[in-house]
Amino acid sequence: MPVNRMTGRMALALTLLAAAAVLVAADAVYAQGSAFGPRGDTIPSSGILGWMFAKQAEFYRSMSAVIRSAKTDGSAVWTLLGISFLYGIFHAAGPGHGKAVISSYLVANEETWRRGVVLSFASALLQAFVAVAVVGIAAVLLNATAGQMCSAGRVIELVSYALIMLVGARLIWVKGRGFLREARSLSSRPLHAVGAAVTPPEHKHHDHKHDDHCHDHAHHDHVHDHGHPQHGHGHDHGHHHAHDHDHGSAWGHAHGPEPEELAGPGGWRRGFSAIVAVGLRPCSGAIIVLVFALAQGLFWAGVAATFMMGLGTAITVAAIATLAVGFRSAAKQIAGTRSGYGMLAMRGIEVGAAVVVLGFGTLLLLGYMVAERGACF
Amino acid sequence: MNRLLILACTLASLLLGAGSVSAHPHVWVTMKSAVVYGPDGAVVGMRHAWTFDDMYSAFAVQGLEQKKKGEFTSAELQPLAQVNVESLKEYDFFTYAKAGGKELAFVDPKEYHLEFDPKEAVLTLFFLLPLKTPLKAKSVNFQVFDPTYFVDFALAEKDAVALETAPAGCQFNVGKPHELTKEMAQMLADIPADGKIPSDSYGEAFANKINVKCP
Repeated sequence: MPVNRMTGRMALALTLLAAAAVLVAADAVYAQGSAFGPRGDTIPSSGILGWMFAKQAEFYRSMSAVIRSAKTDGSAVWTLLGISFLYGIFHAAGPGHGKAVISSYLVANEETWRRGVVLSFASALLQAFVAVAVVGIAAVLLNATAGQMCSAGRVIELVSYALIMLVGARLIWVKGRGFLREARSLSSRPLHAVGAAVTPPEHKHHDHKHDDHCHDHAHHDHVHDHGHPQHGHGHDHGHHHAHDHDHGSAWGHAHGPEPEELAGPGGWRRGFSAIVAVGLRPCSGAIIVLVFALAQGLFWAGVAATFMMGLGTAITVAAIATLAVGFRSAAKQIAGTRSGYGMLAMRGIEVGAAVVVLGFGTLLLLGYMVAERGACF
Repeated sequence: MNRLLILACTLASLLLGAGSVSAHPHVWVTMKSAVVYGPDGAVVGMRHAWTFDDMYSAFAVQGLEQKKKGEFTSAELQPLAQVNVESLKEYDFFTYAKAGGKELAFVDPKEYHLEFDPKEAVLTLFFLLPLKTPLKAKSVNFQVFDPTYFVDFALAEKDAVALETAPAGCQFNVGKPHELTKEMAQMLADIPADGKIPSDSYGEAFANKINVKCP
């Protein structure tokens, strides 16, 4: 599986790169921290976590002074953008930015790291957009109060959590059936073959064929030719995946669709539901910054800051998502060298990740887990 | 299969860990607090004056009616003060009292109002938080903090703590919260998913502590 190994390596490389970028960028600003006022002595000397807490608080607090000075000094806007970007990177390490949901979604759906990065960026930018829309409509157009914005925020939040639950439930449905099918095909095989350390040749051949087939799918969505007249293959796929009740028969395989097929063209539509589920809920920090900027008569600066925060957030989320995808492909590589139980284990991991998505959605919706307390009191 | 198991476990902890609650403040409060005594020398409650940071203040007054631009009278802010004290109930007013090893209960705030400082553009919330039952004790401990660290409470630089109509000989001691250490950050990260704090162990780390002793 050369492509898989490469994906794993790329994932690792990207993760390291992202981590290095974060540290370098943070260090640069830290060094000139005195530029925006006294740095204070609250930065703990040890512990990445503590340091990150201190940094994000520092960035956030310096925003108000920078926005104020932007009123008279245009160049302060650049500082604001830089701070917002870094704040986003650090802030997303905290709760409520869909890291867990996106990562679990990627693992369950056997998505590529590329797609993980795209999903992370799309959801983070949607989150920024929603914050701007909420403040733009509620505060700028309707002159709503903080309390009214909070109520609107709560409704959006509930919708978002319900969507996360739906995405999770759907994944469990699809992946659970895959798991059961795998288990069934295992138990129907002769007993001596099941426990064998070496994959039965027949099975291996089967798998191998699949892999080639699937990689073709993933990389040549629109150019490959399976002899379908007129309609692009992608269209067909999309249709099947959106409804996905007849995979088995559509493909004529005994054990249903290979994951890469699921990650194929139709997958973008499903990815969209994950983006909306995660990105719908605006971050309360962004809303506070936007309203403050509005009060200073610099709403546009708040909008720019919000999108920079979103960009920073996206980088952190993408790094964690990539890490998760990397682990998953490593697990798959090991699983691929085993007999049927390896594939069963992979299906098990996918179902587990799907359960995590549903679990997070449920806990969030029922209020047992606080993603991020709204600034409403 | 062992390696696969290890990978699966790492993956699980990554996914669950990414969703764990690790709080971060969005609201900063500079506090001044007074321990209030009744005529009989019993502690009757705590009077707070909490000044919010400028960003949160701007957020809180957004859309409120004002006669003069850039200024708010306490009368104009009274509905907001009402909402504030009602919502703070959910968070136990971030105030915890203990005497003789026992938690003391508070009842709904009295004498609450908001003031807007037009120069700094910040809001200050004033309220008296009465104890359910006034208490005569040699030593009473108060803690003010947000266990989930969404609100950062810091004592004002000057006159942060006072005693109101206290009997002669009463004294107070102030303990500031420790700076955030690695252990504390870990504690924050370990707050269970339901947001409930298992014991008052976090208080020691984050709370602004006020101890009053009377002869």
